Amino acid sequence: MSAGEAAARQDGLSGRWRSSTKRLILVYGAFFVAWTVVLIGAIRWQTANYLDGIVDSILEQRLRYLSSVERAHLPALLAATTQLDLRGLMASGLFDAQGHYIAGDVDHLPDGLAIDGVVHPLPEGVQRISGERAGRMHAVALRLGDGSVMLLARDYRVVDQVGAIIRSGLLWALSLTLVPGLLGGYLLSRGPLRRVRDIETAIQPVMRGDLGARLPVSERRDELDMLAAIVNRMLEQIERLLGEVKGVSDSIAHDLRTPLTRLRTQLHRVQQLGGDGDPRNQLVERCIVEADALLDRFRALLRISELEDIGRRAGFGTVDVGETLRRVHELYAPLAEEKEIAFALEADAVPALRADGHLLFEAIGNLVDNAIKFAPRSGHVVLRAASEGGRVVIDVVDDGRGIPVDERDAVLHRFYRSAASGAGDAVGHGLGLPLVAAIARLHGYEFSIGDNPPRGTRMRLWC
Amino acid sequence: MARILTIEDDAVTAREIAAELQAAGNDVDCVGDGRTGFERALAGGYDAITLDRMLPGMDGLELVSELRRAGVDTPVLMISALSDVDARVRGLRAGGDDYLTKPFAPEEMAARIEVLLRRGAGVRETSLRVGDLELDLIARDARRGGVALDLLPLEFRLLEYLMRHAGQVLTRTMIFEAVWGYHFDPGTNVIDVHIGRLRRKVDAPGFEPLIHTVRGCGYAMRAP
Repeated sequence: MSAGEAAARQDGLSGRWRSSTKRLILVYGAFFVAWTVVLIGAIRWQTANYLDGIVDSILEQRLRYLSSVERAHLPALLAATTQLDLRGLMASGLFDAQGHYIAGDVDHLPDGLAIDGVVHPLPEGVQRISGERAGRMHAVALRLGDGSVMLLARDYRVVDQVGAIIRSGLLWALSLTLVPGLLGGYLLSRGPLRRVRDIETAIQPVMRGDLGARLPVSERRDELDMLAAIVNRMLEQIERLLGEVKGVSDSIAHDLRTPLTRLRTQLHRVQQLGGDGDPRNQLVERCIVEADALLDRFRALLRISELEDIGRRAGFGTVDVGETLRRVHELYAPLAEEKEIAFALEADAVPALRADGHLLFEAIGNLVDNAIKFAPRSGHVVLRAASEGGRVVIDVVDDGRGIPVDERDAVLHRFYRSAASGAGDAVGHGLGLPLVAAIARLHGYEFSIGDNPPRGTRMRLWC
Repeated sequence: MARILTIEDDAVTAREIAAELQAAGNDVDCVGDGRTGFERALAGGYDAITLDRMLPGMDGLELVSELRRAGVDTPVLMISALSDVDARVRGLRAGGDDYLTKPFAPEEMAARIEVLLRRGAGVRETSLRVGDLELDLIARDARRGGVALDLLPLEFRLLEYLMRHAGQVLTRTMIFEAVWGYHFDPGTNVIDVHIGRLRRKVDAPGFEPLIHTVRGCGYAMRAP
């Protein structure tokens, strides 16, 4: 995996994380707002209903009282009512049978108001003599015994005002709860997210194959720490098991090499005893080739182990990348020519590297050898070095069948050979790429396998 | 006849080395530990030394540097179970000595000793000749039967190495190490392909072949 791809993957992961937290906060906020709106509606509806009842019962009660007093006292009582009503909530009027004004602060019966002693809503309100016109009112009109008509009306705005107070109160409550809630939620979610990102960073070496790395465990001993501790225990176990497997395969390789070498020596002697025309010599030759192939495998296997163990003993020095590439090209060009492969070298002026020149040559050589193996006859292989963002990038690309994405990690492990890339037809011990990976690790380089659109593989060393 | 000192603590390997070198007509002395080996080598009189890297008493690499400090420049073939990723081994090779990883094919070991024994001979020559093949090292010019050969620089180096060791068996690994200067398995049949190309130029049809394949081992250049 290259640095770019690694960064993209990392961004992708934390990007998804961020958006999921954001989504959670948004869903929580929307739910809270919706619930508050429903709550306001319900309270307002109930309050309005209650106040409606009060307004109407006040009107009815007053109507009953005024209709029971003597007709002659009525104008004076109406005037007193108007005078006592400091807030101007009430309006009243007394009219004769023909509807002419007699007393009160309203001199016209409102149009369309039934004279039936029942309270009706009056959206337009009534016109007072003072010229003042209230908005919405509830009104009741009743024909008295002498044919005159009494009108009583009460301002309804008070209900609207109470509704507005409730609404604004709840809106304040909503914003005062929602803003700190969302803010707090965001801040709270950032803490674990940061630690997840720390864990992600800490796990990168493990993903690159350094099983000695562990996840950070904080003092808090919370859920994330529990999880990290579990993963660490798992990593320990995996490291131990892998070490055992590696140890076993190394010692098998080591122990089998001596008898195998002796076998090869004996075969060689048998071959020398037979004359040139002896047909059995061909059989012996094939046996020697097989024995050599086995010895090559063991040698490569042990070489990987040694590379992993060597650490600082490698001979690091200043390496001219262009010159190294030119020499690799020179070594493998005839091989490409035999397969009629166009083998190009593109090494622009790249800065020198601090590396073990021999091992770097070996790694690039292995990549080129691999590319030539997998490129089709008359195909193309390019060996390229460039400077990208202060780092040297060495690419080996071919136009072979490519390595499927899900096998790209596996081919870096010992003895894995891609079934799909037709490695079965090609000679090789499946240790070339693991060897390159080991050399890359020794140098702290990143080694990745990518596509070479439209067809083929791109092996990349980020130095 | 050359006198060779074998410093090796494993009796089986020591016997194997001695047998192979004696078969090639050498006189072999075997020593089992580093200290005695150092004293014998210091006493001199040997044409070459085979040296195990891990010895009781003294480390092989240390033994070589002690010898060199004492002014003894007998060529050393170090034989070790450790492969040669260690940079110190390269230093050893740069000093003109050689390194072979255990287990080894006896004929490879013998071929390397042969090369070490003839080390120094002909270093100052300005031209090489094998049969009717001539190599002018100053003018970088190659001729076969008087006709100039069109060689690439790499092919010239390869031919020079083969001609310098004319009559000796050279394994693919030895050729790769000497001509390219790297010490690993270059894979596939890279060396064979290079030799094949050189052969097409040097041993053109109508000429007696000079580059011979030694089956199961490597190549040798021999005058007809």
